[in-house]
Parts: sequence; C-alpha cells; structure tokens
Amino acid sequence: MSNLPATAASSRLQGAEQPGTQQFLTFTLSSELFAIPIEHIREIIEFGGLTEIPMLPPFLRGVINLRGAVVPVVDLAARFGRNVTEIGRRTCIVILEVEQENQMLALGIIVDAVNEVLSVEPGQIEPRPSFGAKIRADFIDGMISLGERFVIALDIQQVLSVDEMATLIGMNTNEELAAAPA
Amino acid sequence: MDMDMARDALVQEARELLVAMENALLEIETDGASSEAINAIFRAAHTIKGSAGLFAFDLIVSFTHIVESVLDRVRNGKVQIDDAMLSLLLNCGDYIGALVDAIQNRTENEEPDAARRVVLEKQLGAYLEPPAEAPAAAALTATAKEEGPQQIEGSGGVSSDNWHLSLRFSPDVLRNGLDPLSFLHYLSSMGRIVYLHTLTDNLPPLSQLDAEASYLGFEIDFDSDADRAKIESVFDFVREDSQIRILPPHSKIDEYISLIALMPDPGRLGDILVRGGALTEVELEQALQQQQGQEIGQKPLGAMLIEQQLVPEPVVSAALSRQKQNEEKKSHEQKFIKVEVSKLDQLIDLVGELVIAGAGANLIANRKKDAQFEEATQAISVLVEHIRDAALTLRMVPIGEVFQRFPRVVRDISRELGKEIELIVTGAETELDKSMVEKLADPLMHIVRNSMDHGIEGTEDRVLAGKSATGMLRLNAYHESGSIVIEVSDDGRGLNREKILAKAIERGLVTPDHNLSEKDIFRLIFEAGFSTAEQVTNLSGRGVGMDVVKKNIESLRGEVEILSQAGQGTTTRIRLPLTLAIIDGFQVMVNDEVFVIPLDLVIECVDLAGHDARHNIVKLRGEPLPFVRLRELFELPPIQHNRESLVVVQFGQQRAGLVVDRLLGEFQAVIKPLGSLFSGIKSISGSTILGDGRVALILDVPHLVQQTAQQQHSLTQSAVAGLLTNNKTTER
Repeated sequence: MSNLPATAASSRLQGAEQPGTQQFLTFTLSSELFAIPIEHIREIIEFGGLTEIPMLPPFLRGVINLRGAVVPVVDLAARFGRNVTEIGRRTCIVILEVEQENQMLALGIIVDAVNEVLSVEPGQIEPRPSFGAKIRADFIDGMISLGERFVIALDIQQVLSVDEMATLIGMNTNEELAAAPA
Repeated sequence: MDMDMARDALVQEARELLVAMENALLEIETDGASSEAINAIFRAAHTIKGSAGLFAFDLIVSFTHIVESVLDRVRNGKVQIDDAMLSLLLNCGDYIGALVDAIQNRTENEEPDAARRVVLEKQLGAYLEPPAEAPAAAALTATAKEEGPQQIEGSGGVSSDNWHLSLRFSPDVLRNGLDPLSFLHYLSSMGRIVYLHTLTDNLPPLSQLDAEASYLGFEIDFDSDADRAKIESVFDFVREDSQIRILPPHSKIDEYISLIALMPDPGRLGDILVRGGALTEVELEQALQQQQGQEIGQKPLGAMLIEQQLVPEPVVSAALSRQKQNEEKKSHEQKFIKVEVSKLDQLIDLVGELVIAGAGANLIANRKKDAQFEEATQAISVLVEHIRDAALTLRMVPIGEVFQRFPRVVRDISRELGKEIELIVTGAETELDKSMVEKLADPLMHIVRNSMDHGIEGTEDRVLAGKSATGMLRLNAYHESGSIVIEVSDDGRGLNREKILAKAIERGLVTPDHNLSEKDIFRLIFEAGFSTAEQVTNLSGRGVGMDVVKKNIESLRGEVEILSQAGQGTTTRIRLPLTLAIIDGFQVMVNDEVFVIPLDLVIECVDLAGHDARHNIVKLRGEPLPFVRLRELFELPPIQHNRESLVVVQFGQQRAGLVVDRLLGEFQAVIKPLGSLFSGIKSISGSTILGDGRVALILDVPHLVQQTAQQQHSLTQSAVAGLLTNNKTTER
C-alpha cells in the first residue's frame, strides 16, 4: 500500500466520483505551508518526552510514549532533506496513522506550528507540478490553491513510507558500522 | 452452537486425532503391533469419520471409511500389519489431513488431490476382501420404499454379529417435525441394516387413526463398525420421548472387555463403561437418575444396568474388577480449560500496564519519603511480580508440541535418504512461550533435515568409521538461567572445518589470511548463500536455510550456535528467552539516557576506577575482559563525570563488559517492540516504558558485542583484539 504510485493517490484525491469538500490540516515547516488530509490525523500533542535512539539517520528523531504505546517520531524537515527542526515554543508532534501491510501504524511528525483546518472544494486542488517544488515530487499529492498562493498537500503514504525509511535506517547503521572508530 | 464454531471444533479434533493416529503408527513401527495401538488408530479414524458424517462432509467420510475397513480387518486379525501398510496408513493420514484442511478452508466439496486419492484407495483396496462392502445406501432405499417387514440379503454372511436396535418412536414424533424414516436413512450411512421388522401392534383401527401420529415400532439388526455412542447419536433428537434401546453384537462384548482392561486410569463404574463404549453418556445419566429415584433399597449401578439389559453382564464384571485394580492409583490427570488466545493476550497486556503503573507508584513513594507509603507500594510490587509471573506461565506450553512432528519427519526423510536414523526426544515437557513455539517449528525442521542430510553418514560409511549402523539424532530441551535451550544433536561426521573455510573464502565471506576461531568458522554456515554439500539434494543444500534459521531465531531474541567434533557429531544449540512480553531488566544510565540490560545476562557490576582500562580490556580477577563503552558505541556527547561502572554480562559462553555512567538497579520491563521501522538497528532489541513515563531502550547485548567486534575486525582486519575472543578458562 505504501508503494502505491502517487498518481493513483492523487486521482483519488481529485476523484470525480467523490465530489464534495475535503478537510486538510495545514501546518508550518520552516515558514512553508503544508497540508495533510484530516482523516490521517489521530491527534496533535505538545513536543516533549522524546527518547532519542542512537545510530539513526537525522530524520528519525526518536520515540515517545503515547499512553503506553511507543510511537516513532519523524522530523519532517529532515525527511525532506533540509536541516533538522529546531525545537521552539510552538513545536508540535502530529500523530498520524499510516497503513503498512494492512495494519495501521501510528507515527509522529515534528512540525514548527499547526495552523488551521481547511475545507477544500475539489476544484481547488491542482495536480502536482512535475518540478519546481523544493521537495521530492512523489511526496506531493496535489496543490491546494488558496487565492494567490498554493499549499502543498502531502502524500503521507509516500512521505512516511515505512519500507523506505526502514531501508534508510538500515543503511545508516551499516555505514556507521563501517566508519565508526573502535 | 454456531456452525463456524462447530466446524472449527471438528477441524481441531480431527487434527488431534490424526496426530494420535500417527503416533500410534510410529509406535507400531518401532515396537511392533500391539492391540492397544491398533485400537487407537482405529478409534481415531472412526471418530473422524463420525464427526465428518454429522456435517455431511462426504469426501472425508467416504475416504476414511475405506481406511477404517482396512483397519477393522487388521483389528480382527484378518490382515497382518506390515511395513508397506504402515507407510500406506501414514499417507492416508496425510490425505485425511489434507481433507481436514479443505474443511477449514471451506473447500470441503473439492477433492484436494484426486489422483493421490485414487492411488491410495487402490492400495487400500488390496487389503480388503473382494466383496468388500455391500451397497448399504442402496439397500436402505429399498427398505424405505417398501413398507412392512423385509429381509435384506446379507452379502458378507456375518449377520449373526449385528447390533440390535429396538425403536419405539413417540406418537408425537411426526408432529414435532421429525420423520422416523429419516433416522433410518441416517442410520444406514453408518452401516448396513441387515434386518428390519416393523411392529404394527399399536396401530389402532382405521376409524381412530390419527394421520399425524406415529404408531410404528421397529426392530432392526444393524451391521456397523460404529460404536454405541455413535449409533445412539442418530436418535439424538427423539431420545427424550421415545424408547430407544441398543444392544451390542456379541463380538463387541469382547471388545468392551479388552478396552476396559487397557484403560489407563479408570474412574467410577459408569465412566468406565461409557469410555469403553459399552454405555452412552445419556444411558448412564438415565440410569443414575433412576437409581436416585429409588428411595429404599438402592441397587448398585452395575446390577441395574444388567437388569435393564443396557450392558451385558460380562462387561460389567470386567469393568468392576478393573475399577478395583486401580482404586489406589488416584489419577493425577491434569485438568484443562480452553481459553481464547486473545483473552490471554489481553490479560498479559493489562499485567504489563499494571507493572508500568506500579513502577510509577513506586517512584512517587520513594520521592515522598513516607515510610508507610513506601512499605505499601513495596507490598504491591511483590504481588504484581507474582501476578506477572503467573500470567506469563499461562502462555507457556511444552515444547513437545513442536517435537511431536519430528518422529514422522525423521522416519520419512531417513527412508528417502536410505539411511537408518533413530530419533531420541528428551525434555519435551520443557515449557516456553506459546508464540515462540509456532515460530520455532520451521527453523528446527531445517536443522533436523540438515543433520540428517549432511551430518549423519550413510550406513556403509558409518560401519567403516566404526560406528553403529544406525545413526542417532537427538532433540533435547531444558531450562538454563532464564532461557530455554533447545539442542539438535547427531552422531554423524561433524562439520568439516577446512571445507567450510575453503567455501567461505571462495564465496568471499572471509579473506584467506583470516584468524578465526573454530566457533567463528562454524558460525560461517549461517551466512547467507552458504552451503557445504557437494551434492545438492532436494532436502537441503540449496544454501537458503541456515541463514534463515539464524534470522528466525534472532527475531525471537534468541541465538544459535554450533558445536562440532570431526567424526563425532554436531550439536546445534538454540538459546531463547522464556518469554517475549516482560523481562527483568537492569537499568543503567549513559549521559541522561536510560538503557535496560536483560537482568539474566548480568553477572556483576564493578567500579571501573582503579582498573587499567586501556585497549578496551580490563583484567578482572586475573582474567582479561573485553568491554565496550556505550557512550562511544552510541556516539553520545562526552560529559564530565567522576566515575564509570562496568556491567559484566554473559551470554552463552561469552563474557563482555559494558561501560556506563550510573547503575540504577533492577526493574521489570514490559517489552514494547519498536516495530519494523527499526528493524535495521541490531544493538537494540526493543523499548520499555519507565515509571516516569519515559521510553527506555532495551539493549540487545549479544548483537551489540558482536557488532563492536565486527567494527574492530573491519578496522584491523584481524581478530586478535576481537571482543568475541573466547574466554578460554570459562569454556574449557
């Protein structure tokens, strides 16, 4: 499921068979605006209580205790290949649910601030540009046009692809293995 | 009961019976035929057929019926059981298993393997007499069509040895929506109605006849292999207000007596008779009720049963004498109740939460410095610990569940390979977590196959080497300091060091100028893509396998090692934690991070100050101990600190030290798996939640040490300073 081509996902998003408004949560990441469909979001919590795990690539910040469940936390900015998010007063962890091998997996993402919930008409969503956005094209589900500006709607299954991230983590530890001093 | 549940119950029962059948067949193979074993096989086949018949799973009924017919001839001494027949019966058991699988998959109306069935049936047919079966169903249709008494030709000429059934249906039976004829139909699916006499005595004159009432009685001679309970079950629906009397055939009487004599632990008289099949549960209950109804001069049950012709006299007296024999031997039979796994898991989850919450309460109590409060939480912690242990034992099952499939596997493979191999199983009662039992089966199977294929030599080679012609394979399990150890040993040729090395160099797994210990060399066979067999057989030798075995074992937080002596044999030793849910942990601190080391591994803690700690080796009581600084391994920033502690850990035969900043003490860790996202991180096996709500990481010590050793290997290209250097004194 996580490897579904993004085009399939976007056609679902713009789907003609599902007219009606969709709701998106918008949030800021290094002063850029992104959106995630609201149905993926379980809750939003204040940043804190993070346990770091050694030998991880920077995009995986660690794990938190979410009422007895251990939930991994992804630094979205680092995942997009930017700098690691600085923790500030408004920093939040958004808990999302992604599907992996037919199981719902809870994952947290660190964002600079949570903004608002948008109701978006199908006509407001444009297909993703083939280039121009500063993040990987397959992370983008579509562009939500808000008057003069665009908000990038993220394809969460791609951004938080467990298989891909696990592979990156494995590579990271192996590199460290080879490079680390004794 | 809902049909799905009934179906599941049928499938489960049939599987258990198939296992019993297989065990009995293997027993005959090793110890020779005994009437007990033959009866066990017969009973298993018979019960499967009967249960399947209730659901009208005709494919299984018709096939099992043929098997049963052959078994019946064995039981009656008409056919001798031989090797070929044993193999055939084992194959038939497998096929019945396939049919049972089909029931589970709801494809019971499709033949899983029609060609195989034809072959098996043909082979079975060879053991049957030419006029094997009278077409019972056809015969009954005839009876049903023509009313009144009718004699049906017996084809086998054994009419004297029949059940006798007296049926007096209640007059209301038709009004209740039940047709006596349909009972007779169903009866004929279990055997042959040899003679049927319809009693018309109760039939009133036509003017008074109520068209909706049943007036007829039936006397039936019935030829069937079914047991009493089975026959009685036909009349389940009408038993209450009808008179149903079932008299056994003469040959059955002897059978009951012999069954009663073989019973391992008889209980009360009624139970003995029911279990021997001479009496059904319902008949017993009725008799007991009658017995209680008589206020004065209660007759003993046995006398009553004889009087009412329910049980023939010789059977009762056999049962009575058997009961006497065993009265002193009180049965220690274990009592079980079946519980859904999900309920158990839920309980264990809750216990896990309780442990965490308890740790939280403890923490607060310690902070408050209130003696009474602390004492109270202490008492609760002790109880919680007991509850935890008790809850975890609920999930424990004997490893025999895995072992029991191996006698058959060994038998089949040894035939296929043309080797004589004897299997010895010990420690089957050793318990481990249920979830592990399921995941152990495949790795063990692989190791066993490997041992048989590569380890144990052919008969000629063995004799040449001065060994006994029969190879020995041993499965053993035992508990050792918080883990369970499972060993697969053979007395074969042992691993060939040179061959393994040559192969590893050829495959580029090691460099020719290696400096590997024997253990390290043996460990190479667990590398992916490694196989030493010169000739690839269809059992093993494809080079997929041992690496998968290792992976499977490691996913259970276990480890596997190989001990081998050239010419003497090989032992593969698997060491697993007892449970996957909760462990006793030892908390340590590095910088501000808390890490948990499984307490079973911790031998002692030493202050590192005052030891010469250069080269990452300390001398501890005269012996060198390699250690690893967690701070360096995890690349944590250095801090100013006054002293460090050394935690000495031991796993298997290896010892190592872990250097940490502070020791925090013991604690019960509820293991929270980190999930597939972190599967690449080998040095951490999971996480746990501390009393204050923080997440702490559980160290995977064997991996961590191994990883450090590999780093050093890759750096120095030599194994001189390897942390895996065996501690010679502990090993030898």
